[in-house]
Amino acid sequence: MQGGSTGIVYGGLKYQARCIADVKADANNTSFLAGTLSLKEENEVHLIRLSPSAAELVCEGLFYHPGEIWDLASCPFDSRLFSAVFASGETNGAVIWKIPELYGQSNSHLWNNFILWWPIGKHDKVISIDEQNLFLWSLDCSRKIAEVQSQESVGVLHHLSGGAWDPHDRNTVAAFCDSSLQCWDLRTMKKTNSIELVHVRDADYNPNKQHIVATAEDETGIHLWDLRMPNFPFSELPGHAHWTWAIRHNPQYDQLILSGTDSTVNLWLTSSNNSDDSTSESQSDSPTQKMDPLLNSYTDYENSLNNSAKKNGRYAWSSREPSMFASLSYDGRVVVESVKSYLPRK
Amino acid sequence: MATDNAPPMDEKAKRTRELLASFYSTEASTAGRAVPVSPSRVATLDSINSPSFDPDVYMNLLIRKTNLEGLLHKHVEMAAEIKNLDTDLQMLVYENYNKFISATDTIKRMKNNIVGMEANMEQLLEKIISVQSKSDGVDTSLFAKREKIEKLHRTRNFLRKIQFIYDLPGRLQKCIESEAYADAVRFFIGAKPIFEAYGGSSFQECKISSEETMKLVIENLKGKLYSDTEPIEARAEAVVLLKQLNFPVEDLKNKMLDKLEDFLLDFHKESKRMGITNTELDEPNGASIAEFSKTINAYRIIFPDSERRLIELAQDLFTKRYETIQQRITEQLSSEALMLALRDIWSDVSLMDQVLPEAALPVISLEASRGVIKKYITGAFSALLRYVSEALTGPQTSPKGTEEQRTLQTALESSKKAVIQGSMDCLLDFRHLLDDTFELVTKMRDLIVDWVQEGFQDFFKALNRHFLMLCGKIDIIKNRVNAAEGFRAEKVQTGLVLVLAQLSIFIEQSAIPRITEEIAASFSGGGLRSYEYGPAFVPGEICRLFRSASSSFLQIYITMRTQKISTLLKKRFMAPNWIKHKEPREVHMFVDLLLQELHGVGAEVRQLLPSGLTQRHHRTESTGSTNSSRSNPLREDKISRSNTQRARSQLLESHLAKLFEQKMEIFTKIEHTEESIVSTIVKLSLKSIQELVQLQTLNRSGYQQIQLDIEFLKNPLKEIVHDEAVIDFLLKEVTNAAHERCLDPIPLEAPIIDKLIQAKLVKNKEPNSR
Repeated sequence: MQGGSTGIVYGGLKYQARCIADVKADANNTSFLAGTLSLKEENEVHLIRLSPSAAELVCEGLFYHPGEIWDLASCPFDSRLFSAVFASGETNGAVIWKIPELYGQSNSHLWNNFILWWPIGKHDKVISIDEQNLFLWSLDCSRKIAEVQSQESVGVLHHLSGGAWDPHDRNTVAAFCDSSLQCWDLRTMKKTNSIELVHVRDADYNPNKQHIVATAEDETGIHLWDLRMPNFPFSELPGHAHWTWAIRHNPQYDQLILSGTDSTVNLWLTSSNNSDDSTSESQSDSPTQKMDPLLNSYTDYENSLNNSAKKNGRYAWSSREPSMFASLSYDGRVVVESVKSYLPRK
Repeated sequence: MATDNAPPMDEKAKRTRELLASFYSTEASTAGRAVPVSPSRVATLDSINSPSFDPDVYMNLLIRKTNLEGLLHKHVEMAAEIKNLDTDLQMLVYENYNKFISATDTIKRMKNNIVGMEANMEQLLEKIISVQSKSDGVDTSLFAKREKIEKLHRTRNFLRKIQFIYDLPGRLQKCIESEAYADAVRFFIGAKPIFEAYGGSSFQECKISSEETMKLVIENLKGKLYSDTEPIEARAEAVVLLKQLNFPVEDLKNKMLDKLEDFLLDFHKESKRMGITNTELDEPNGASIAEFSKTINAYRIIFPDSERRLIELAQDLFTKRYETIQQRITEQLSSEALMLALRDIWSDVSLMDQVLPEAALPVISLEASRGVIKKYITGAFSALLRYVSEALTGPQTSPKGTEEQRTLQTALESSKKAVIQGSMDCLLDFRHLLDDTFELVTKMRDLIVDWVQEGFQDFFKALNRHFLMLCGKIDIIKNRVNAAEGFRAEKVQTGLVLVLAQLSIFIEQSAIPRITEEIAASFSGGGLRSYEYGPAFVPGEICRLFRSASSSFLQIYITMRTQKISTLLKKRFMAPNWIKHKEPREVHMFVDLLLQELHGVGAEVRQLLPSGLTQRHHRTESTGSTNSSRSNPLREDKISRSNTQRARSQLLESHLAKLFEQKMEIFTKIEHTEESIVSTIVKLSLKSIQELVQLQTLNRSGYQQIQLDIEFLKNPLKEIVHDEAVIDFLLKEVTNAAHERCLDPIPLEAPIIDKLIQAKLVKNKEPNSR
């Protein structure tokens, strides 16, 4: 366990891995879920917990999972519930698990890409997204079944690759495909808004400021959008050398954004000017802050000899300890870092 | 008298007198201040002279304090003092008595003298009374006659006045004949009260005829006023006379000023016409200005209270003239012409100033010409900006294809020339401004220098902004205004971005130093700006601006190019179902597209950027060429080995291999060379392929297809990019990724690969030969 300045490393994942999720409902511990991605071996889901002394990462639970795990999400109100998107050979699907046993399964969807939980608090709805459809599921915890409540086909032209649930409005979901980011109203199942001509890899709502969305894009880096003005981003962060894979707002300090690409994780400070601006509804010319928004770039760690350590990593902020985040590298290393020294002084 | 003859006594007497005086005065004062005395009844031996002296206390004190000898001594002393006082008293009494006697004597003598005077006085009174009665007699006898004389005199005056009035018409006529209008007016005004009083009755005829004559006089006066040939003094006199006759002079004045204004308007129109037809404003203009100033002068004398209007007129005239110059500045006036015009105006101004100093014309014209010059300078800079942008965007409109290829370079050259030549021309032009010895300019020399420096600063900033706008990467905030036009919808030509990058470099490296030199040579000084702002032109700042701009242009260029490639790759890798992929028959055509795209980039970049081959050794060394060359055979070896025994441990093995491999710096800093840009694009593309492959699950055929494609790419890519190690590494990464994501990773055998590649090569040659 290499603590110290670089972060705490967990090396328990044996195979390549693509997804990590923060266990939101666990109020007592800082814990994460990580799932492996192996074609040939039996895949595992690890429940990783940061020890109380915050010095090491401990494996709290290990569950075998049929099929490769492409995405994980934890239930925000029950720490034992989590969802997984899996692929096994030619079949894909999404499952909701209850530790330790299988809880419910949504089967036979051609290519389930994503499962979304209402991000804050108890809400018995879950959204799943596959390439062409949006599904709204109703979860019944007592009967352990999930039913499709409504569904909408997006059209063949769009290949939805992911989505984000607006934490300020439980009826709005943003889904993104190759060329646009679309907002859907779950009551009517109609598209309400869209940002065109963006190549979104990931998107994340600002949990503290309504209408603000950050998108990570292939070539052009990171853009911050105000959904009320979808024609142009209000801020732009010079991206990474290659694709930006993931982007996450800090749950507490909304100016902090974590973005990741191959082998680097960048910590950004978005200018507070802009966010203030958008809350006060006055989108007038606020002078762009000239300070460097990049706070830190976590590249290869000292103890890492492997040069593609952070490949395709996913990142998760801890909701319990907002100054901590866990990053997962493609080869299965989980690193928990603290950003305390970069927190904005308040 | 006794005091006079005894000087030694005098001293003593003075002392006793003082003592006495103090005694008496204290006696008087004790009555007023009886109360405050009692507390100060302090028993001291010195208190004998004080007002609160108590003899008993004093005695007691004396007896108690002094010894016998002292007492005896005091006794003697006191006795002497008492004797002295007595003598003084006697002397005072004697003196007063003496004075009294002499006063009595004087009074007695006065009494004797007064007795004789009384008789004389009575005699005098009698005489005075007799004189008075005689004078009264004379007065009464002359009184009647005097009254008569007075009456006669009054009548005579009256008659004379009447005579004057009767004579008035004739006299006026005479005055007109002799042009003595002043006299006429004076006469008429003198007679006017009478006419007013009796004009209705007795003097009617007279009044009418004289008024008629006066009308004539007024007419004459008016004519005199209007005629320019009359001497100014005469005209001024005429105005004064008219005013005396209660003639509405104001109307006259207004009328005349209006006329003057019309004249000015005509003059203005004329000068404008001349300004349009030719730049010479001299001859007729100068004449008319002289005339104008003369008129102004005359008017000033004629109507001393009309200055304000005149000032307004003059100021109006000059502002209008400056406006014409400003208008002409927009029509690209040369600095000589500008100077000529300014000089003209200045000379006119000084002419006018002599006549009308109150108008503060020099101040106004200084202001105005300052404005004009400033506008001229800014105008010159904006023209320069326009010129440069025209030179830049020229090729955009030209037809595509080979012609465009040619024009990329010409565009760069022409815009380079535009920047440097334009700036030099501007500087030359401004130098003309400065070299002028003209008084006005010398006053503003410092200001002009500042403006020029500031102008350059602003110009380059604006140029930078313009460049950014051309690539559609203008400030987002600014873009909000024209957000409707779209933030990224523009079709920016990639070539243009490259041209901009090179141009920025050129500006940074050669244009700015040269301009700085020029400025230092001829525009140093200034310094009217306050020190907080520093010098107006900061070449360092501009250089930094353009350096960052040029690298960001390169970045944009690369982004634009890779975006295109990325969509191509995405289509290739996302679309097919890789799990059900068929056996590879040939190299997939996407490699052609990819290579074509890369060649396109190469061709475009080659036009503008140095190849950078000379730097190759240096650079490969810096990224660790020794290491990679050493690891190259190792890796080949490993691949071959893993080919033979690709098994389940492959993952572990590749990890191990990576452990020993030199860490490859894939994304190096972008340099301004063809090599750097092309290789960056290639690297980014390969990286994208790798990531895309990692998102898929492949069957054996899919894996083999990718393997084949990558093998095929190897050689052409190495032709394009000279850093073989990196390419090898990245290509291997792709195959590794495919291997990892394959359910059944059995590679194609080398002979089959060779055969397919050869087939592809042959096929590729065919259309080329055709």
